Amino acid sequence: MIQPYKKRKIDQALARQEAPPPEKPVTIDIADGPAIPRPSDPGLYSAWKFVMIATPLIMIYLTTYDQIGGFIVRHLPEFFWRGNFLEDWALTERNAYRAFFFFMPDGFQVTFQVTLFSIPVAVFLGVITGLCRISRRRPINLAASIYVEVVRGIPLLVQLFYLYYALGRLITIPPLGSAVLAISFCYGAYMGEVVRSGIEAIDRGQREAALSLGFTPFQAMFYVILPQAVRTILPPVGNECIALLKDSTLVSVLAIADIMRRAREFATISYDYFEAYTMVALVYLFLTLLLSKLVSKMEGRMGSYERR
Amino acid sequence: MGGQPVIVMEGVYKYFGDFAALTNISLNIEKGQKLVLVGPSGSGKSTLLRAINRLETIDHGRILVDGQDIYDPGINLNQLRTRMGMVFQGFNLFRHKTALENVTMAPRKVLKMSAKEADRRGLDLLHKVGIADKAANYPAQLSGGQQQRVAIARALVMNPDIMLFDEPTSALDPEVTHEVLDVMVALAREGMTMAVVTHEMGFARQVADRVIFMDQGQIIEEAPPALFFENPRSDRTRTFLRQILPF
Ligand SMILES: Nc1ncnc2c1ncn2[C@@H]1O[C@H](COP(=O)(O)OP(=O)(O)OP(=O)(O)O)[C@@H](O)[C@H]1O
Ligand SMILES: [Mg+2]
Repeated sequence: MIQPYKKRKIDQALARQEAPPPEKPVTIDIADGPAIPRPSDPGLYSAWKFVMIATPLIMIYLTTYDQIGGFIVRHLPEFFWRGNFLEDWALTERNAYRAFFFFMPDGFQVTFQVTLFSIPVAVFLGVITGLCRISRRRPINLAASIYVEVVRGIPLLVQLFYLYYALGRLITIPPLGSAVLAISFCYGAYMGEVVRSGIEAIDRGQREAALSLGFTPFQAMFYVILPQAVRTILPPVGNECIALLKDSTLVSVLAIADIMRRAREFATISYDYFEAYTMVALVYLFLTLLLSKLVSKMEGRMGSYERR
Repeated sequence: MGGQPVIVMEGVYKYFGDFAALTNISLNIEKGQKLVLVGPSGSGKSTLLRAINRLETIDHGRILVDGQDIYDPGINLNQLRTRMGMVFQGFNLFRHKTALENVTMAPRKVLKMSAKEADRRGLDLLHKVGIADKAANYPAQLSGGQQQRVAIARALVMNPDIMLFDEPTSALDPEVTHEVLDVMVALAREGMTMAVVTHEMGFARQVADRVIFMDQGQIIEEAPPALFFENPRSDRTRTFLRQILPF
C-alpha cells in the first residue's frame, strides 16, 4: 500500500532550495525634490516640525513686528501723552513685509490655479505615458519614449517659453491656459517615468494570475496592476506635485502674475527687493512643507492593506 | 483508456533565444486524468504548463484544449483560459483584495456575475478549501498554506476543465505543506483533471495516473507511478530518483 507523503522530509528539503526569495516591499526613491516627513525618519520628522512652526511665526513676526513690538515700544510715550496712537497706525504702513503681504494675494491665487490645474493634467498624461512606455507595440512605445527623452533633455524654462509662444501661434487661449499646458506637458513626462517604474515594480505573477483567470490584458492592468501600483507610485507622484508647485514660479517670466511675479512688480515700485523675496521664500517653504505632510498622510493610508 | 483528451500537445518546441526549453513534447491528458511532472530544475516543467494556457507562446507544434487549437486565430483566448485553472508556486494572490474578493473577482469581471451570486460561490469554495473564516483577510494576513488554498479556490471558481499546478507547495513551510496537498488530493478524488509539477513524491504515488519525467526540455520517461518509482527504464530517471529519494 502507498504511504502518503512518506518522503516528505527529503521532498521538502529539496523544495525549499527552490523557494523564491521572500517578497520585499517596494519603494521608489527619488533623490531630488522635497523630502517627505515619515515618522520612520526621526531627524527629518523633527526638522519638518521645527520649520513648519518656525516659518509662519517668522512671517507673522515680520509683518507685525513694528505694530506689536517696535511700534508699541516707540509710540508708548506718545500713547500716554495723547491717549491713543490711531493716527500713527495709519501713517506708519512703512513695513514692506506687510505691504507685500497685502500686495501678494492675487499672485497667490494665480500660483494656486496654475498648480491645481496642472497637477491633474500632468498625472493624466503621466499615466498614459507610463502605460505607453511599457507597451509592447513598437510605435506606441517609441512615441512615448521620444516624448520623455525630449522633455527630459530641455530645461523647463526653455520649454515654457517655447510652448507658450508656440501655442500662442496655433490657438488663442488665455496665458494661464498655455502656462498650465506647458507645465503639464513637462511634468507628464516625469510622472510617466514614475508610473512606468511603479507598474514594473509589481510582480509579473500578478498579471499572469489575472490572465490565467480569463482577464483581458486591459482588465488585468486596470483591476489588478494599477490599483497596486498606486501605492508605490503615490509618494513619488506627490513629490513631483511638490516640485511642480515650486517650478510654477517659472511662469513668472511669462506674462502671468503668480506670487513670484507679484514680488518683482512690488519690488520694482518700492525697491524693497529683500523684503519681497524673503516673504516669497517663506510662503513657498510653508506651502511645500504642508504638501509634503499631506503626501505622507496619504501614503500612510494607502499602505494599510499590506500591514494590517 | 477511452477518455476524451482535455489537452493534446503535438511536437511542441519552445525556444528562449537559442536555448531549447521544450523539445518535441507530445502528450495527451484525458478527462479525469492526473498527470504529475517531475524533473530537475530548469528542465522545462513550468514552461510546459505555461505553454498550455499560452502564458508562453510556443515556436512549433500544436496544443489543443478541449479539441480547440489555442493558436487558432478565431478563438477567444481569454475565454479559453477560463477553462484552465492555474496555481502558481508563489501563490500570486491579488494583494489589494481580500481572500473572498480574490476568488470573486474573475466571475464578477470576466463572467459579469452579480456580486451576490459571486460571493455565494466564493464562500462555498473557501469553505471547501477550509478557510471560510479568513474570507475577509488580505493575503498579507494569511500564512503561505492559507494563501495557496485561496489561490486554489480562485482557480476553481471558473469551473475549469483542468487544473494546472506549478510546484504549489515549494514555497511553503514544511508544517503547512499538507494543508495544500490535502485539498489537492480531495480535488483529485472528485475527478478533476490535473497536471501537477511537484517534488512531493508521496503525492505523485498516491494520486497520479501517470508520471512524466522531463530533462533538458524533453520527455524522458512516462509511466504509471508504481512502475516509474520501482522500475524506471532510463538511466537519467534513475539518477534523478536516486538524488531525491533516500533509497
Ligand atoms: N523568460 C525566459 N527567458 C529565458 N529563458 C527562460 C525563460 N523562462 C525559462 N527559461 C529557461 O528555460 C528553462 C526551463 O525553465 P522552466 O522554468 O520551465 O524550468 P523548470 O523545470 O520549471 O525548473 P524549476 O524546477 O526550477 O522551476 C530554464 O533553463 C530557464 O532558464
Ligand atoms: Mg518551474
